[in-house]
Formats: sequence, structure tokens, C-alpha cells
Amino acid sequence: MESVRSANFLQVDNEIRRILAEKGVIVLSSREAYKEFTWTRDYFEHKPEDGYFIWIKKPINHPLTTCIAISSPKVSQNPRNLVVIERNVEAEINSVCNAVKKNLCGSHVGRSKVVLKENSGLKIRHFHKWGGGDVVGSSIEFSLGKRARLFHTYRCLAVPEKLETENKTFLASYSSANFEMAVLAKDGHVDIHDSTFLNGEKSSGISRLRMIADENSTILAHSKMVANAVGTGHLDCMGLLLAEESSINAVPELLNKNKDAMLTHEASVGKISEEVLNYLRSRGLTEDEAIDLIVAGFLSGEAPFTHEGRVLPSKT
Amino acid sequence: MLKIENLSVKVHGKDILRRVSLEIKDGEVHALLGPNASGKCTLAYAIMGFPEYKITDGTICFRGKYITNLPIEDRVKLGIALAFQHQPTIKGVKLSKLLEKISSPAINMKGFSVNPDLFEREINVGFSGGERKFSEIIQVISLSPIFVIFDELDAGLDIGNLERLASIVKDKLLSNGVSILLITHRGNILRYLKPDVAHVMLDGEIVCSSENWRKIWKTIVRFGYGKCKECEFPSSRQ
Repeated sequence: MESVRSANFLQVDNEIRRILAEKGVIVLSSREAYKEFTWTRDYFEHKPEDGYFIWIKKPINHPLTTCIAISSPKVSQNPRNLVVIERNVEAEINSVCNAVKKNLCGSHVGRSKVVLKENSGLKIRHFHKWGGGDVVGSSIEFSLGKRARLFHTYRCLAVPEKLETENKTFLASYSSANFEMAVLAKDGHVDIHDSTFLNGEKSSGISRLRMIADENSTILAHSKMVANAVGTGHLDCMGLLLAEESSINAVPELLNKNKDAMLTHEASVGKISEEVLNYLRSRGLTEDEAIDLIVAGFLSGEAPFTHEGRVLPSKT
Repeated sequence: MLKIENLSVKVHGKDILRRVSLEIKDGEVHALLGPNASGKCTLAYAIMGFPEYKITDGTICFRGKYITNLPIEDRVKLGIALAFQHQPTIKGVKLSKLLEKISSPAINMKGFSVNPDLFEREINVGFSGGERKFSEIIQVISLSPIFVIFDELDAGLDIGNLERLASIVKDKLLSNGVSILLITHRGNILRYLKPDVAHVMLDGEIVCSSENWRKIWKTIVRFGYGKCKECEFPSSRQ
């Protein structure tokens, strides 16, 4: 991923520092978009103060980057973001929301809507990194038109004191959504709500959650797949407990309203087995090295993110 | 190389090994035969230092150093390696990633005539029986060991794969003077690796040891392990 130094949208605290449009791509603050394009008011519930509007009209051959950062103590952000991908357009977005220090005690409540028009494609990588005193809420709603394709990854390997995420994905006919989420919780509480609605025939959704609860943490993951039309959906929730006093509550839910649709799920929550640890220690790794290797593998997914030109570590 | 004296081991409170003694010298291949649940794997895991395998009496000495209380990884650093019979799956971790971490020097993955795709797959996830064994032996060789325990190396292998594995063991380990403890139920692997000494374990004790492994194997095939209780050979090679 390109560094956030060249981000298309950069907001620090409540100040927009950079907006960089490109050929075929309109980038504005949400506030400006609300004024300039009245049709966007269908998507914004209220007049937005923070956040970005990205309208991708032509194919782009590199990822766009957005960054919303907290860098001062006790900042409160409420970004309202809107992304629209036009018909037949393929796009990639890397989206970073973070606190630049661990002790800023900020608040970030982001709400995003992403519209993929007919036969468009979006690969969006969403990365969060917070400090221990932050409180964060994040909701994203994806609307996929016919034959649209979405690949969405979310990673948060440094959770705030409290993190609430909500994803809703609505799929029209022949569209597909693939969601991968990786969360490593330590000294924090995470509440995940993820819902996928198969509303059009032959739509398909996959939701893959990987959660690790380290010391002093709780994770609740409610993942739901709803078939309103003929389609296929799969939920895959895996949790790894690294500390005795922490907990993971995985709640996969399948709701099928169409007899020809097929919904499946698999879920497991457990600790690293002694058998696996002994196996890796028999290869000369210490117990800590073995756990690091297992955790890195468990959370493995997309290419690493970079920030300020540096690759962010897989484990903080 | 390895000297075990009067070793007794408990697992989950149950006595499994009783006063086992065994000495393996540099470059020797020893076979350990015995029926299921006779204690062969327990001996392997006790040598490796698995925490659930509690040593209640006796000692394990490796190259003049008592290792009875060393953690697993420290024993590996001394040159001890184990190829497992039952390998756990490790999702998300590619075999190449593990090899990269443990190999010193970096292992040449092309030197094993296995499908290179194997290295890019998650460890033991969906591996066939043969692939698991090749994965094991590649991992073991990457550790540059001086003593290797093969726990049922031959289990579940067809003749072709068994020959290939035996050939790798000879070329990469035996030719470099590595000592081997071969735990097995079967005769074929003995014919390929021709152990210097064969031992029979029954009910947690080594009841028979001999350099004439063929005679021991013939006896087992003809009369079963029960005959070993009346063994004419000494129970330990001193």
C-alpha cells in the first residue's frame, strides 16, 4: 500500500489536511459534497461535519488512500464517509483510521456508506490502530448493484478501550461480497456486528472472522447471513484465546427465507493446543516464538499496511 | 551420543515406562519395536522433554550432558529432533514460513524432489499421508540434528514413498553420521535402514536387545510379541 503521505484524503483530528483528486475520481470533504451534489443527501442522514466523499467514475490502476487520524488528546471525530463506484469500474481503496499515540483518549465514531453500481468491483482494505484510552465506533454499509464484486478486509491489531464495529452488506443479483476481519484484542473490549443480506438471485456472501483475545479483553462477534433470495452464504468465525481471564463470544446466525438458498457456517473458539505448541517447540522455537507464529498465521491475510512510509507490524 | 539409565515415566499419573536403559552411540541406527501402547512413543516424548511426560526416576544423558530437566527447545538446540507419527495441523502457517524460521543454514527446498506447492501450503492441512511424512523429514533435516527419533516413519506409506524416504534418511542423515532411533511396527523400513541394534519394548520395559535385528523380526513375525517375554537376548546392551 502507498504511504498515507500521499493520501487522497487526510484528516488529522478535525482538520482536513489534504484532498487529492485524480483523473476520473472526485474527492471532496463530505461537507462540500453535501453542498455540491444534492443527490448525496440521500446517503447522508444529516449534514456531515467530518469525513470524505469519493466518487470513482473511471477505472484507476492503483489504490486510493484515505487516512483519518487522531493526534491530539481528547479529540472527538464523527466522520461520515460516502464512496460511490460507477458502473463497470474497478477500484481499490486503502483506508486507515488510527491514533498516532497510545494515550490520547480520543473518540472516533465513523459511519460510511459504499455504493457499488452495476458490474463494478471494489477491493477495500480497512485498517484500524488505536490507543488504550480511545473509544471507537465504526459502521460501514455496502450496497452492491447487479454483478458487483466486493472484497473487504478489516484489520485491527491494536484495539482501543472499546471498539464497536458494524458492517451491513446488501447484495443484488449475481453480486458477491467477501469479507475478512482480523482483530487482536488486548486490554480492550470489542463488539462486532456483521450482517450480509443476499437480496438478489445468485448473490453470494462470505464472511470470515479471525479474533484473538489476549490479556484483559473480551470479544463479542455476532455474524449474520440472511438469504432473501436464491444465493449462497457462508460464515466462518474462528477465535483464539490467549489469556485465561479473557473471553470470546462467537454468535454465527443464519437466516434463510428462500428454500433454494444455501447458508452454511463454521465456528470455533479455543486456546492454542499443547499438541501444537509441543510440535513447534520440537522445531526449536520457544513457547513465545511458537505463539507468535501461530497468531501471525491465524491473522494472516492481505499484504501489510504502511504508515508514514513504514510497514506496520502484524503484531503490536 | 544418548545414554538413558533406569528411566521411569508417568503420564497423567499413570506409570508408563519402567526402568528403561538404552545407549545409542555416534552414527548408530537403533530400532525400537513393540506392540501398540507398549510405551515406545512415551520414550520418544520423554527424550524430547514434553511436559506431560513426567520423569519419576532415572536420567537422560546426551553427549555427556544430563538433559532430564531441559525444556524441549533447548534439547533441539543440542541436536535432538523428532519426526512425529501424528502431526497437528497449523492453520495459517505455511510450511515455508516455518522452515524459514527454523533452518540454519537455509534449507534447499529443491533438494527433496517433492512438489514445491507443498511448501506454500499450511502445515499439515489437507496433507496426504505421504506429504506429511515428507514434510516431517524436511523439517527435521532443516534443524541439522545429530540425533533423530523417527516415530513410525513408515506408517501409511506405500513402497515407493517408503523407498524415497529411506533414501533421504540415508543421504541426508546417516551419511553425515547422524544417530537414529527408529520406532516402528514393520519390517520393510528395517530392511532399508538396517539397524545396528533392535530393541523390543513390552509394557513399558525393554525386554530384548540385539544386533541381530533379522532374528528379532523373524521371531515377532512368527510368534508375535508374546515370545519376546521369553527372550534369549539380554534386555540391555552393555
